[in-house]
Amino acid sequence: MEFIGEVLSDALEILTSFGAELWAVTGLTLAVSGSATVLGALIGIPLGTSLAVGGFRGRGAILVAVNTGMGFPPVLAGLLLLLLLWSDGPLGAWGLLFTPAAMVMAQTLLAIPIAAGVTAATIQALPPSAHEQLAALRLTRIKKGLVAVGEARAGMWAAVAAAFGRVVAEVGAVLIIGGNIKGETRVLTTAIVQESRQARFGEAVALGIVLLVIALAVNGLLTWLQWRGRPS
Amino acid sequence: MSVTARYPADGSILDVSEFHLEEGERLIVFGPNGSGKTTFLRALAGMLGEERQLDAAYLPQHPYLFRGSAGWNLGLGLTDEQAALAGQFARRFGLSVQLERQASQLSGGERQRLCLARTLASNHPWVLLDEPLSALDVSDRAALAAQLAHALSGRSAIIVTHDREEAAILGERMAVMVGGRILQEGSVTEVFSLPASEEIARAVGTANVISGFAGTADESLARVVVGDSVITGMGTPPPGEPCRALFGAEAVTLYRGREAGSGSAVNHWTGRVVAIRESGRLIHISVDVGFLLVALLTPGSLEALGLGAGSEVTAAVKATAVRVVAT
Repeated sequence: MEFIGEVLSDALEILTSFGAELWAVTGLTLAVSGSATVLGALIGIPLGTSLAVGGFRGRGAILVAVNTGMGFPPVLAGLLLLLLLWSDGPLGAWGLLFTPAAMVMAQTLLAIPIAAGVTAATIQALPPSAHEQLAALRLTRIKKGLVAVGEARAGMWAAVAAAFGRVVAEVGAVLIIGGNIKGETRVLTTAIVQESRQARFGEAVALGIVLLVIALAVNGLLTWLQWRGRPS
Repeated sequence: MSVTARYPADGSILDVSEFHLEEGERLIVFGPNGSGKTTFLRALAGMLGEERQLDAAYLPQHPYLFRGSAGWNLGLGLTDEQAALAGQFARRFGLSVQLERQASQLSGGERQRLCLARTLASNHPWVLLDEPLSALDVSDRAALAAQLAHALSGRSAIIVTHDREEAAILGERMAVMVGGRILQEGSVTEVFSLPASEEIARAVGTANVISGFAGTADESLARVVVGDSVITGMGTPPPGEPCRALFGAEAVTLYRGREAGSGSAVNHWTGRVVAIRESGRLIHISVDVGFLLVALLTPGSLEALGLGAGSEVTAAVKATAVRVVAT
């Protein structure tokens, strides 16, 4: 117990001083995961909506792909993107490897299926009479999707929360694609791996607490939005 | 036209190999609960995942309002011009709520009026209505039925209902559906007074629905002129306008010959028996008195009267048992 106590007191000390390095890591985490969540939602929510309101060929196959993507291992997503962005790879000329932009790309890939899957599930969970009415109105596909998203808007916040929760917590993709370069591509999760490997447990726990606080704050905000958006 | 649909969600199987549709006509699909009426209408509206069979505006049985204002819902899927028309229909149907109100605050009856107005305002050639008045209070139903009949005049419509009075007010032709099949098609008056089988008689209920024109009324008594005959009943149809008289088969008393016994009944008509059919423990007797009417007798009464096809009888009905509705 003495050991745990020492680790915690170290962690608290680090957190109370909250130095420049910790600020940089926390800021980059928020920037990378926040951007990936926004991009993932912008692509995933329309994708999920079109899957839910239906009416096109190949919908089943895409739905299977999305559901698989929801559980896709982050390290594999990282590896896939690594091969694409490698200097000899098809997108090597972009020179994005080991940059925050590449990390955003990797996390966006992880966020899209989550946002799409939760959106599709939420819209499909609307009452059958809502779906019947939506079909009966004979709206254009886009208008139909907009009405469905509006009706299930509380679920859209859940989609965003789930996507953010997934990307902010993952380590495999950002580690491979970002390289955990100090001051450049180091985020909270990769920093925790680094500090743990070097047995700097106080630092690791401090980073872990920051990560938890971010996850709590963002999910708290989104849950509040979700509740507020519920039908009375 | 032919419609075949299997709808596993509620286990019902629809099997309509052929039925008759005419543009500009209001067809009632009448039948008991679970007879497949809704599935039939949904199949026509293209709701069962197949090709849409009619270019139609469809009002589902349980209309759903989306989150937003009542006015936004009223105009959903409509052009500006159609939305204005929907507003006129809504007012005519007695939707008095302000359109700025949230749709979630509307009562069941208000929701149904709103959705009905929106459905009628769209410009698809056909209108498909599933139990359009079911969410309304009984007291409002007849008035709105009359408004709806007016709004539908000249339009091509298919209306599903299990309510006799609604069928009588809204319909021109009627198809009786039992067990997923259409058992009889014909004019509303014909199907009610001359059901083709016992099964149909049981489905439509034994009732008389007689079409005519409103004659001069006095106080609360209305007169319906049907050819050379007059039916007196309760109601206030506008004189000269088409209307219908409704009365139950059990309200008819039959006398042999040309003379009715003494009694308080205002209506007496003499005619000949057209058909006699057993229905369970009762007997249906169809009589042509210038119009077709149907009466219910016990086997004992039938024997006492000694009636057969072609017998001359006089039918009597109290005016208070007859309801007169404008159509």
